Amino acid sequence: MRVEIADNGAFGSALVHLRPGEEFVSEGGSMFRASSNVDIDVTTRTRGSGGVMSGIKRMMGGEHFFFSKYSVTDGQDAQVGLAPRLQGQVALIKCDGMTRWLCAGGSYLGSGADLAIDTQFQGLRGALSGESLFFLAVQGAGPLIVNAFGKITPLDIQGELTIDTGHVVAFQESLEYSIGKAGGSWVSSFLTSEGLVMHFKGHGRVYVQSHNPSEFGKTLGPLLPKRN
Amino acid sequence: MDYVIHSNPSYSVVEVTISPGEQLVTESGAMAWMTSNMRAQTSARGGIMSGLSRAVLSGESFFQNTYESEDGPGTIGLAPGQPGDIKAYQLDDDELFLEKGAYLASTTDIATSSDFQGLRGLFNEGMFVLRVSGSGTLFFNAYGDIQEIEVDGTYVVDNGHAVAWQPTLQYRLTKAARIRSFLFSDQIILEFSGKGKLWVQSRNPRSLADWVFPFRSTNQG
Repeated sequence: MRVEIADNGAFGSALVHLRPGEEFVSEGGSMFRASSNVDIDVTTRTRGSGGVMSGIKRMMGGEHFFFSKYSVTDGQDAQVGLAPRLQGQVALIKCDGMTRWLCAGGSYLGSGADLAIDTQFQGLRGALSGESLFFLAVQGAGPLIVNAFGKITPLDIQGELTIDTGHVVAFQESLEYSIGKAGGSWVSSFLTSEGLVMHFKGHGRVYVQSHNPSEFGKTLGPLLPKRN
Repeated sequence: MDYVIHSNPSYSVVEVTISPGEQLVTESGAMAWMTSNMRAQTSARGGIMSGLSRAVLSGESFFQNTYESEDGPGTIGLAPGQPGDIKAYQLDDDELFLEKGAYLASTTDIATSSDFQGLRGLFNEGMFVLRVSGSGTLFFNAYGDIQEIEVDGTYVVDNGHAVAWQPTLQYRLTKAARIRSFLFSDQIILEFSGKGKLWVQSRNPRSLADWVFPFRSTNQG
């Protein structure tokens, strides 16, 4: 299994090369090109995750209900190209099996089928703020592909760092983290529309994105006809 | 004719320089800048019917502009309506098929016409694709990167990501899912077969529109 990242501009994508017997999983529907010896199945589960309930949890996490699962149908090498919806970079994280990664709901693009994926619910505060605070917990060794809105930057934290939730792409669970408000109180946080932030502490890597997708959505949404 | 494609692949624009006697046909609205000796003629190229079929059937513009330069060479900058890549393709008495909206410009010995795709077009981006034929240089554009694929056998592309393909390739619509997913939305894909080149785009405008949709305000609010 080899993952090639096409990263020569603002519209990154990934090309996954599979050998016979290998399988790959992606966010539902993100395949945009594939060799014809790839079988595409739609599944509610990946290894280690539950059935329909976890599908519903994922849907609440801002992801499609389903994963697409790719397998090779013959003895030949195969390829699957994966593309995110928004413009921005795509990055490959090589999970070593030692630490889990938590990937923000909208940042997951795909992963090797040997990685277990589960949803992490971040509590009621997320629901109150109106921001999606679901993470996919990715465990095991293998490739994880994430997408960013804009530029993606790895930060190695030693000590402490506070990051707006809308800019967090993925992080190692070796970091301690807590979710809080950016302002002094919930009211001021609400009024300044600075959303929730994550306080990281310890030692580990975080990938951040230069732009916050929901801020972009809030810019465009009011320009469109209202929905009923 | 001479050209330079700038700031590709993400924000490509093409700058074309033509000499007196040469002509460049462009999609209407694509001109971003030009030297003052460039003269434009706007017409439904190939006649009203051809313009209509181009506009109604293939989603290209009814009118196309034909540019000429006076008193020496002139330069024109063409910018597509969406950010992404531009490719130049050399035709030598042959054809290329373009998906809706991919046509940007061409030299004058290239003709464009709609090609009926039959029922499969219903589920595709449109009932018709644009057939480009003749000899000369063609510029086409896409949303996102353009990736070139050498097809030898079969290759599948998500509906909405195909940009252009050589006429040696055939395609058919198929569904990318097995029985379990019958309840849910299937991914419609195009299966290309034969031997030839295929170009795909790494983003899909419809998918961006779908993403923005939930951000619209409600009537109540």
